[in-house]
Amino acid sequence: MTKKKIIKVALIVLAIGITGAGSVAYYMFNKPHRDVQSSAIDFTLNGSALVQEYLTDANAGNQKYLAETGDSKIMAVTGKVHSISRDKNNQLVVLLKEDGDKAGVSCTFTAATNPSAEKLTAGQTVTVKGVIRSGAGYDADLDLYEDVILEKCDVLN
Amino acid sequence: MNMKKLTYLFIIPMAMFALAAFRPVAGKLISKAGHINFFSHTSLEDISANNYKVVSTLETTTGNVAFSVPMQGFEFEKALMQQHFNSKDFLNTKDFPKAKFEGKITNISDVDFTKDGVYEANVSGNLTIKDVTKPINEKGTVTIKGGVLNAKTKFKLVLADYGITFKKGKPSTNVAKEIEVTLDADYQSE
Repeated sequence: MTKKKIIKVALIVLAIGITGAGSVAYYMFNKPHRDVQSSAIDFTLNGSALVQEYLTDANAGNQKYLAETGDSKIMAVTGKVHSISRDKNNQLVVLLKEDGDKAGVSCTFTAATNPSAEKLTAGQTVTVKGVIRSGAGYDADLDLYEDVILEKCDVLN
Repeated sequence: MNMKKLTYLFIIPMAMFALAAFRPVAGKLISKAGHINFFSHTSLEDISANNYKVVSTLETTTGNVAFSVPMQGFEFEKALMQQHFNSKDFLNTKDFPKAKFEGKITNISDVDFTKDGVYEANVSGNLTIKDVTKPINEKGTVTIKGGVLNAKTKFKLVLADYGITFKKGKPSTNVAKEIEVTLDADYQSE
């Protein structure tokens, strides 16, 4: 191999390397959000039990369910539909809460999944899949119990 | 059943219905679907994030207000930014999942809760982000319309005040030192 050829090959390799690294960086920078509904379920549990777990030890709950990246655990939560409301982003919010419980699980649907929340009625038992954002607990300043928050929800059939 | 009993049977439900229908905006009000946006502007990039899971209470007699913001509920356009935001270097949302505000609308007596109107509100209290508490004093508006109370405010926040600093890399150049926070919440009776 001549010197010229070696330089040529080296340049090609370098060019491929730079393009590759650039593409990876570009992809990383623009990578899409995790699709919660097509991702695997991490925990399947009863809404009442999840609330109780947080009321017993909120820190343990956070360490178990929340992720440092914000891509926290994906939950399938079963409970009784207490009420359905709409948020400021026009997303339906289904509150799963048992009679007598201090807090429930507030499940925010998306523009795409709103239709499945529309079919629900109060009193019905349902399983909802979504990503956990925060746990339940008593807040002294609000003077009320906050619900567990799930977002990107859909009804699990 | 005599006539008197029958009359009571009608009057009591009617009175209850009337009370429920014309209940003024008063007492402890709750907002469970507020919206918070924060906006960072630098010459290199504009970054915006939205959160629709803000819980708040407002006591109309004392003016006491409180907010609880689930930090992992902030959504960014780019997934990578959202991950940076949540990480230990930025807001450490795993260890500090909620930001809180507790304070007072100091001029609550200026608000006439019985009729529709827009009122300027002075809000004063303590904001806690990532376990750092700082006093803040900001202005906002309270709007009463058709039995619903809406509160809005927009204020600047210096990130370094809450221990959020970037020494190097892209965040140090692309994230503003001072961000703009916008809040919009509708309140209802408990």
